Amino acid sequence: MTDGLDAAPLTEAELAAMPFDAALAEYQAVVARLEAGGLPLELSIALYERGVALDGHCSRLLADAELRVQRLVEGSGGSAPTLIDLDPGDSA
Amino acid sequence: MTQRDDRPWDAWLRPDSVPDETSPVGGPRIRSVGELTRVVRDRLRGASELRDVWVEGEVGQVSVSAAGHAYLTLKDASAQLRCVIFRDERARIPFEPQTGLKVVVHGRIDVFEQQGAYQLYVDALQPAGYGDLALRLEALRAKLAAEGLFESARKRPLPDWPRTIGLATSETGAVLHDVVQVLRRRWPLVRVVFAPCLVQGDTAPATILGALRSLARWTDLGDGRAIDLLILARGGGSLEDLWPFNDERVVRAVAAFPRPVVVGVGHESDVTLADFAADVRAATPSVAAELAVPSRDDLSARLAALHRRSDALVAAAVGGRRRSLDTERRALDALRPAAVLAAERERLGLLLDRATDALTGRLARDQASLERLRARARVLVDIGVQDARAGISAAQASLAALSPFATLERGYAIVRRPDGSVVRAAASSGVGDALDVRLADGSLDVRVERVRDSTP
Repeated sequence: MTDGLDAAPLTEAELAAMPFDAALAEYQAVVARLEAGGLPLELSIALYERGVALDGHCSRLLADAELRVQRLVEGSGGSAPTLIDLDPGDSA
Repeated sequence: MTQRDDRPWDAWLRPDSVPDETSPVGGPRIRSVGELTRVVRDRLRGASELRDVWVEGEVGQVSVSAAGHAYLTLKDASAQLRCVIFRDERARIPFEPQTGLKVVVHGRIDVFEQQGAYQLYVDALQPAGYGDLALRLEALRAKLAAEGLFESARKRPLPDWPRTIGLATSETGAVLHDVVQVLRRRWPLVRVVFAPCLVQGDTAPATILGALRSLARWTDLGDGRAIDLLILARGGGSLEDLWPFNDERVVRAVAAFPRPVVVGVGHESDVTLADFAADVRAATPSVAAELAVPSRDDLSARLAALHRRSDALVAAAVGGRRRSLDTERRALDALRPAAVLAAERERLGLLLDRATDALTGRLARDQASLERLRARARVLVDIGVQDARAGISAAQASLAALSPFATLERGYAIVRRPDGSVVRAAASSGVGDALDVRLADGSLDVRVERVRDSTP
C-alpha cells in the first residue's frame, strides 16, 4: 500500500467483481499516483501493471457488455412483482 | 315604502315606541360598514362554489395600474363581473385580455373591502374556444408550481454510473424499442427493468401510477440490482393524447419517485406537467435514454488516453532511473576505492620522503646533534604518519557517501561472478552458474535457473 493505493497484482476474481465505474476510478487513481512521481521503481512498475490490468478489464466490459432487459410482471393476489428476461428480439 | 303603518311617521325616533324583534334588549343592532363588509366577505369566502370558478364572458373595459395589476369587467347580456389579474399572474398568463374578446377565466370570488365590491381574482385566462384542456392545464400548472413541485432546487442529479434503469412506457409502439436501442448502443453495461403501462386514454394515469409504484419497490434493494434512475417515456401526440402526463396524480408521482426521473414525452415542442416535475426533462424518449447513461465511445476514448498516459509515465520513470544509474556509475568509476587510496598513499609517501630528505640533510650538516635530531626525526615521522592516517579516514568517509553501497540502500544490487567480476549482461551467464548478489546489508549466493535475454 502506498497513499492508500494498493499496488499488489489484481487477481482474476478481484477484477471480475469490479464494476466498470469502480475499475475506472481505481485506474484513474493509479495514473494520478504515477503522475505525482517520487515512487521507487518497483512500485512504479507494480502500479503500471495494475493499471494495465484495470485497463483490460474496463475495455473488456465495454466490448463484451450485452444489454439486459427485464420485464416486470405483477404478482397475482398482491404478491411481489417478479422480473422476466426479455429476449433482445422482443424489443427489436 | 308602500307598507301601510298606523304609527306616526316619526314613531321610530321614540325609543320606547317600537319593539325590535331582532334586538330585544333594546334598539336595532347597528354595525359599521367595515363590519358588515367583512360579514359579506366571510360568507363569500366560505362558499365553496365561489372558490374554484370557471366563467366565460366578453371583456369590457380593461385598465392596468401602475403596479402592473390588470382590472377588467367581464360581461354578458345580463350582468357584469369585476375581475382582477395581479401582476404575477399576468406575467405568467401568455394571453392579454382585450376589450370585446370572449374569454374563459379561472379564479376565486372575493371581496375588495375598500370599494365594497366583490370581484373575481383571476389566475388563468384563455380566449374562449381555445379549449378546456389548455385552461385546466394552466390552472393545474399554477397550482403545482405554487406548491413548489417544479422548483429547480428539488431536482436531483442523475447518477453518473447507473447500473439498473427503470423504464415505464407502453409495451406497444416504437418508444420501448427506441429507448432500448439507444441504451444498447450507448451503454450496454446497464440493466433495464421495464414496467409496461398505458400512455393514452382515461385509464392511462392509473397504469402509469401502478408502474411507478412497482418500480419504486426496486429502488431499495441493496445489491446493485436496485433501480438507480427512472425513465418515463411516450411518443408524440396531441394535447389530448399527452393528457395522462398532465394528470395531477402522475405529476405528483414523478416528483415523489425515490430516484431521479428523466421524462421524455412527445416531440421537442410537447411539454407536459410531468416534464416540469422530472429531475431531467428530455425532448424525446431517445434523448431521455441518451441522458440517462454515459457513452461507451467516450469511455473508450478516456481509457485509451489513460493507457497512453501510464505508458508514458512508466517509460519516463524507467528512462530516468537508467540515466541516473549511468551518471552514478561514471561517478563511481572516478572514485574507485583502489584509485583513491593509491593516490592518497602516493601523496603521503612523497611527504615522508621529503621529510626524511630534509632531516638527513640537516644530519649531514650537524653531526653533533645527530642523536637528538634522530630522535626528533622519529617523532616527526610518527606525526606525519598520523596525519596521513587522518587523511585516509576522511577520504574513506567521503567515499562511503558515494560508494555503491549507498546505491544499494536504494534497492539496487550488484551481481558478481565467483571471480569478483560484475555481471552486466544476462547472456554472459549460463544456467547453473553460481553468482553472488550483493545487497545493502549482505549478499546472497544464488544459482542461475534460467537466462532470459531481453536485448532487443
